[in-house]
Amino acid sequence: MNPAGPVFAATAVEKTFGTLRAVDGLSMAVEAGEIYGLVGPSGSGKTTLLRMLCGLTAPTGGEARLLGSAMPRERRKVESQFGYMPQERAVYRDLTVAENLLFFGQVYGMPRRRIAARTAELLAMMKLADRSGQRADRLSGGEKQRLSLACTLVHEADALLLDEPTIGLDPALRAEFWDHFRDLSSRGRTLLVSTHYLLEADRCRRVGLMQRGRLVAEGTPDALRTLAGERAGHPVRDMEDVFLVLTRSEGGAR
Amino acid sequence: MKLQRIAAVAERVLRQLAHDRRVLAFMLLIPAAAMILFGYSFSGDIRDVRVAVIDEDRTDLTASILESLAADETISLRVLPSGEDPERLLLEEGYQGVIRLPAKFTSLYYAHFAMGVATSAQGRIDLTLDESDPQIAAAIQKSLADALMDLGEGGPVDVQTHDLYGVEVRFIDSFAPAIMGLVVAMISTVLTLLSIVREKVDGTFARVWVSPVRRAEFILGYVLAFGLVALVQSLVVLGIGSLVFHIVINGSVFWAFLCVILFAVGSVGLGTLLSAVAQTESQAIVSFPLVMLPSVLLSGMMWPVQAIPAVLRPLSYLVPLTYSNRVLRAVMVKGLAPWQEPVGFARVLAFVVLTVAAAALVLRQQGRRSD
Repeated sequence: MNPAGPVFAATAVEKTFGTLRAVDGLSMAVEAGEIYGLVGPSGSGKTTLLRMLCGLTAPTGGEARLLGSAMPRERRKVESQFGYMPQERAVYRDLTVAENLLFFGQVYGMPRRRIAARTAELLAMMKLADRSGQRADRLSGGEKQRLSLACTLVHEADALLLDEPTIGLDPALRAEFWDHFRDLSSRGRTLLVSTHYLLEADRCRRVGLMQRGRLVAEGTPDALRTLAGERAGHPVRDMEDVFLVLTRSEGGAR
Repeated sequence: MKLQRIAAVAERVLRQLAHDRRVLAFMLLIPAAAMILFGYSFSGDIRDVRVAVIDEDRTDLTASILESLAADETISLRVLPSGEDPERLLLEEGYQGVIRLPAKFTSLYYAHFAMGVATSAQGRIDLTLDESDPQIAAAIQKSLADALMDLGEGGPVDVQTHDLYGVEVRFIDSFAPAIMGLVVAMISTVLTLLSIVREKVDGTFARVWVSPVRRAEFILGYVLAFGLVALVQSLVVLGIGSLVFHIVINGSVFWAFLCVILFAVGSVGLGTLLSAVAQTESQAIVSFPLVMLPSVLLSGMMWPVQAIPAVLRPLSYLVPLTYSNRVLRAVMVKGLAPWQEPVGFARVLAFVVLTVAAAALVLRQQGRRSD
């Protein structure tokens, strides 16, 4: 652990694919226990930033750190302390719900008995208890998404990177997911959650608005409202309007 | 039913195919490869079979037999000094047949003519055959018979054929080891390939790479799983072979299983290697015949490698199953230990080391380039 510093930190981090600048000199830091929302439209660089922070892809410039370790170089030091939920549902479709959790528990070196207890806990939490023996490819979209989250949580990591965890879910299920996130945060976990649903920003303690690989504004949802209000010259309540005002005032400049 | 809608569906399918260039390439490549491989393979005659001759008589008559044999393209003849042990030449030197013309062959041969039909005097030739490949054994027998016919006198020659393994080896006996290798190669290669491509498509690869699992552990996990599968598959092949077809197993089943598992390891490596090329499940599936066809046609499974035309034979030597066949036949039919078929065994080992090392590199690349 890195009790002193931020859990996730990017310093002037950059990622280019050919001529495309997916992430463009971005800096941010997420403190322990926070729910930090990375909010922005599709293609704004959220996924790439998350992948750099968990060491799946190397930055082409700047630095990405997780729990104080430079990623991906020092990933081995912290590999058991974070959980990553990719945007794809990322579960083994030909394994059952319980078998998926067993595998992801085993790769983190958990003993079988602990995995069994954790599986029962997570399946109850995700309302999948009666689907335990069901193959993942027979689950509904929402159930698969819940299984994917459960697979990320199975090894009880302190730091969680969740890439669009609520994508494709109905509003009720989305609300349920956010209840889980708040619950995890209240237990001391740190969550970095990306989303393109601007309304979800309100559920985060702090929000980073991303556009074209850059962080155009950062702060608590209320602070962002105030900032947008100042720039617009009238009060702005709705998060979508906040985003539009703040990205417009950035001028979309690259 | 409306033609327009049928056409719409057909057009959509064709467009989808056209969008995947690799699938498209495979679709054109496979029929071409199939026609070329089948065409050449079926039209081939057996050539260059290694045969040793021990001429203990050294007369004009034996010289003319040797000359006829040397002119025969089926065999590649080597004349060896007397005193060589035929069985040793077959087992250790890699000859597939040894023809011995004993001293007095010529005198007995002519005695027959001198004494007339009433005599039992006959020239005798000893033919010791490696029957682990019955088609090759038959080809050697035919070449010898042709050479004797060339003497032109319909001469009295008694060819005594010695079975190296004590029993007559049938086609099925030498086919079973090949089936074992083929099944294991197919299943291990294709399922590894499909499984890894699925991991990429579904995103589970990303989850695995951020976990403490090392690349070596990942490959070894696949190796362990498919090693066990290979063992079970071999048991099924041997079980049915023994019970239904009464195949002869002269050698150690333990060594046979060990070789099959070793071959499965190499096949897992090959599957992983192919996963660098195939990005989608369709691409993985269409690559199946590209592994299957050369294995069946060029490995010496259906017909001896010596029957494959010279144009294609270099390809035979690139097909891993060619060596697995050699080793498994040596173990199961000839009753040797794997290292007593040194060339085949060394190549199988090289196949394992090279593919597994390349697989590790491929996974490293894929881990890095997982965007």
